[in-house]
Amino acid sequence: MEFMKEALDLAKEALQANEVPVGCVFVKGGIKVAKSRNKVNETRNPTRHAEINCIDEVLSYCQRHNFDQINFFKDIVVYVTVEPCIMCAAALKKLYIKEVFFGCPNDRFGGSTVLDVNKIYTEGFKLTGNILPIEAMELLKQFYKGTNPHAPESKVKKKSNMSIDKN
Amino acid sequence: MEEPQMKRKPNVIDCHLNSLKTTKKPLNVVMNDMTSQPLIPTYVGHIKNVRDISKIVLLLNQKVPVKELQHLKRVRKQEVVICPTEYVNDMSIEDYLCKCDEGFKDIFGAFEVKNVPKLPPKLKKQYEDAKMFWPCNFHPDKYLEKLYSGQFFTEQELDSHRRYMEVAFLAAKWFDVQNVAVVVDPTISSVVAIGEDNRKCHPMQHAAMLAIDNVARTQNGGAWQSQMDDDTFIDVKLLDYLKDLDVKFGHRRFKSKQEEDTGPYLCTGYDVYMMKEPCVMCAMALVHARARRIFFAIDNEEDGALKSRVKLQTVTSLNHRFEVFTGFL
Ligand SMILES: [Zn+2]
Ligand SMILES: [Zn+2]
Repeated sequence: MEFMKEALDLAKEALQANEVPVGCVFVKGGIKVAKSRNKVNETRNPTRHAEINCIDEVLSYCQRHNFDQINFFKDIVVYVTVEPCIMCAAALKKLYIKEVFFGCPNDRFGGSTVLDVNKIYTEGFKLTGNILPIEAMELLKQFYKGTNPHAPESKVKKKSNMSIDKN
Repeated sequence: MEEPQMKRKPNVIDCHLNSLKTTKKPLNVVMNDMTSQPLIPTYVGHIKNVRDISKIVLLLNQKVPVKELQHLKRVRKQEVVICPTEYVNDMSIEDYLCKCDEGFKDIFGAFEVKNVPKLPPKLKKQYEDAKMFWPCNFHPDKYLEKLYSGQFFTEQELDSHRRYMEVAFLAAKWFDVQNVAVVVDPTISSVVAIGEDNRKCHPMQHAAMLAIDNVARTQNGGAWQSQMDDDTFIDVKLLDYLKDLDVKFGHRRFKSKQEEDTGPYLCTGYDVYMMKEPCVMCAMALVHARARRIFFAIDNEEDGALKSRVKLQTVTSLNHRFEVFTGFL
């Protein structure tokens, strides 16, 4: 719960920065090893979801400390405010992350809701949802009431009536 | 034992490059299987009195609407489609109809379970097949018909697709990796970005992921560090290696801040040429990036997400769907 609250704070930070409000914390043995939020607009790279940013943080952390990357991921627990999308779920599976807790489901892109990545990657994390889902959903709703300022005009219009778009 | 394996690797690419140059095969689209159309067991009732037909059809539409079979004509001569057998659990069809409305009583002379087309026909060929089971509505779609004809591209277009695929293979040879993604802006016929499979250094840097980040760099963004030619964001030495090809490199430039907002957005409108079918992560990244078309040459049996394991482009709930083509080799 405590880590999910921190992830929610990161999601709020994303909202303030006009990004899809998703936040994420990676925990290993009860200790936080990475935290990030969605940075799609900032980087103009649509794959810079909170989870991917956290993975990069862990990788450079391993590099700095000369840790074996592959082994390091194996007992990491992920707290993310929205169900990981298909891309992030596949990424977390490929890294053999131990466990993932998420806030609200992701009806548009969810790696379990929309397409079950377990069918392709049978090994890997256990997924548990509904950890503070109302708070996570509320942030998304706030975001989609506004619009994505970096999308071209036509796309902004199209997007305004969608619920969850990125992530 | 190790030695021949090592030597064989570059040769495979050379073989592929050779067949790319000599082949005359058309490319084929990868979508849902359009050849075998599913059927669904459905109750069909024979109406005793011809004069009751229009009244009963009206009543059926009201009381037993079958949304998923709206592509079927409800009546064929004196027979009407009632509902899929799965609607009627343990009851008899007579009891089920009576439960729906009293007006169905004593109308039907006999019932029969018939297999009828489960999905609306999309292609002329499917329509011809479906009609044999039950009369259908059909809205011809010229674009789709062409897409499945195997002659979607002109000879000239095919040549250009093969040339961009050649860039992918040559770059893979140059980087000495198993996969490369080449992003092309078709409006200016130019290679915008290249991404190589760099997962031996970074587990997330698959070809498509790196290519998407390199596209972001052309739009004043990007998240990963790399040494690139400042002008094109493609390795200068690689550009030199590819200089004999009849291919243009470079992206549309932003002249002003305003243009930055109306200019290229992510990979919208861009085509991506990949040596190998992308994995689930990469394929979804390309959905997020809103790529227009994905071309790939080699199937990825392990976790390919455009053909081999799943077809992400057929998942209807995704907000963006690209077209996928293969058949280069
Ligand atoms: Zn994601
Ligand atoms: Zn991949």
